[in-house]
Amino acid sequence: MKPIEDFVSRLKASISLDENLIVKKENRYFLINERLRSQIQKDFFYAGAYLGKVKGGIFFPSFILLAMIAEGKANKIMVDHRTAWLFICGRDVFKQGILDVTGSRRKGDYTLILTQRNECLGFGKISSNIGEEGDKSKVIVKNISDIGDFLRREKRRAR
Amino acid sequence: MSGKEFFVRRYRELGWTYNEFESKPSIRINTMNAKKTDVVKRLESLGIVLEGIPFLENGFWVRKSEFSVGATTEYLSGLYSIQEAAAQIPATLFTGLENKTVLDACAAPGGKTVQLADLMQNTGVIIALDVRGRRLSALSNQLERCRVRNTTVYLLDARESSRLNMKFDRILLDVPCSGNYVTDRGWFSRRTIEDVKKNAELQRQILAEAFNVLEANGEIVYATCSLEPEENELNIDWAIKTLNLEIEEIDCQGEKGLTSVFGSEFDSSIENCRRIWPGETQGFFVCKLKKRESL
Repeated sequence: MKPIEDFVSRLKASISLDENLIVKKENRYFLINERLRSQIQKDFFYAGAYLGKVKGGIFFPSFILLAMIAEGKANKIMVDHRTAWLFICGRDVFKQGILDVTGSRRKGDYTLILTQRNECLGFGKISSNIGEEGDKSKVIVKNISDIGDFLRREKRRAR
Repeated sequence: MSGKEFFVRRYRELGWTYNEFESKPSIRINTMNAKKTDVVKRLESLGIVLEGIPFLENGFWVRKSEFSVGATTEYLSGLYSIQEAAAQIPATLFTGLENKTVLDACAAPGGKTVQLADLMQNTGVIIALDVRGRRLSALSNQLERCRVRNTTVYLLDARESSRLNMKFDRILLDVPCSGNYVTDRGWFSRRTIEDVKKNAELQRQILAEAFNVLEANGEIVYATCSLEPEENELNIDWAIKTLNLEIEEIDCQGEKGLTSVFGSEFDSSIENCRRIWPGETQGFFVCKLKKRESL
């Protein structure tokens, strides 16, 4: 539970998760409901909503968890269509692609990246203070994780 | 007993003339995540030309797209899945799925599991099994991408479903099968009648175990993408004569199941199964079975 809470706090967000409904399988965390809990067996592979995994002491959130966080108050940056697509392709976010900023603008903080429809595409780390005068082509958010990863996973599996 | 000539002759004996067909790309909207009309509009704004599949509520043919429909924000956000049209039929045949306990016995790579979750609007419980560990990652990715929340996945052979100590209201048996030439270009050169018979035996074992874990009055939907009667009508005829199951009428795409095959006569209720010869879709067979109440 702590790795999840720590990650959520880095986005200046808060989500309410019932600890009794979080199950851990090796290094992976899942959020289940009462009905799943009453039937789940210890040798499950996947259950309910996948929240993320800890690897090398670092928490890697799932896209379900990021979407849950995006529903509430959190650091968020809304980007234009082109930037959204580039972000999904693993690219960073440039100043010129930013449409709106909610929450932190401070270098070093984590922020969610959203489409104009408020759909969460992933998250990154603010690499330059937002709002400061500067080059429009300057990288503002370093991509850490994006939903294009679903395709990359499929490609890795196909090899 | 193998080769194109052998199988094509069999199909002719079953009343169908072989033809070359290409598998047509199709998608299914995940209505648990977005409104159908919104997703269609969004895809059309990207230049994708869609056409509603007449026999499916949420299915669309992809008539034109300049890029892969698996590489859009909408796909990656779980608003739709790429799923062959005939393969979209089985899950829609169950009655009243919401809040039910459902077994998807041969679940990977998960297209139908997501569809079940969608039809259940993420209520109830799905237990998804697959015997191949490597394919469970693909299944998990589908569940995460489509934001499915009501499913537990186990690495387990469907023939050992009893080990879960559970009873199910609905069971989807999208059983491992010999496949068909539409989706597998090298099918005729690889398959033999011995493969077909081996698969048919495995399918019977899965059917028998599914019967053991099915609630009284519960429903099984049995599906294959095989054209071979051994894996279809013969197995269902065996199931209704051996297990306490009866065939339910279904209203879906396809021709009546065959009641006479290579000189053997089957129970007349087999005609309530549906056989889809290749054409608009790949080849497919589907059937709905109900467990009779115990006396």
